[in-house]
Amino acid sequence: MVAGRHKSRSMRRVFRKTPGGKVVVHYRKKKPKLARCGSCGAVLKGVVRERPYKLRNMPKTKKRPTRPYGGVLCTKCLRKLMIEKART
Amino acid sequence: MIEVGRLCVKIAGRDAGGKCVIVDVLDDKFVMIDGNVRRRKCNVVHLEPLSEVIKISKGASHDSVKAEFEKLKIPVWGTKPKKAAERPKKVRGKKKKAEEAATEAKGKKKVTKKAAPKKAKEKKEEKPAKKPEETESVEELLGGEGEVKAEKKE
Repeated sequence: MVAGRHKSRSMRRVFRKTPGGKVVVHYRKKKPKLARCGSCGAVLKGVVRERPYKLRNMPKTKKRPTRPYGGVLCTKCLRKLMIEKART
Repeated sequence: MIEVGRLCVKIAGRDAGGKCVIVDVLDDKFVMIDGNVRRRKCNVVHLEPLSEVIKISKGASHDSVKAEFEKLKIPVWGTKPKKAAERPKKVRGKKKKAEEAATEAKGKKKVTKKAAPKKAKEKKEEKPAKKPEETESVEELLGGEGEVKAEKKE
């Protein structure tokens, strides 16, 4: 029987096989939403989707692309911005 | 638009937003750039050409580009030479170890004056018990040392 606190879907369910052959359910915390571009809303590539406690032990270069506005703007929007800046 | 000496802004990659100059035209797609970016081959699509053109020779070195950029008061990308960190050296052999120990002991005496006299007292107590015949000479020696240290302490 599912424990009362696990009846809601606020936790992620992970099915694990035990050494005895049983399938048991583990409850994990859900991952945060995908990172999105600040101007157009496109899904950002190269940005890790993890909880802060895992991000803390991760090197900076693994968390976002190494470029100006990396992890904030998508490449298309960055190009537009840079062209705008150059022309003004 | 794409020619040697043309000032550009890089709009893609880690150097995006940096001003650069075309040093060499490699083919219809690629150029060599230098300036406030890493000196590298670059796709023309990744560049936004500006109206200015600098007078530089084809394939100009980073130093000449740097000189031109400094005239225009544009910052130039460069690396700072790193200093090698000191590594702890491994010492082999008994003699060297003894020397090290001696140097360390000297350092300790200078730094921690309180610790040194205590050791002297311990030696005093131990040695006479083992060799009662040589007590006088040893005591004299140790006593002398102790006095010196006491003076230092004062």
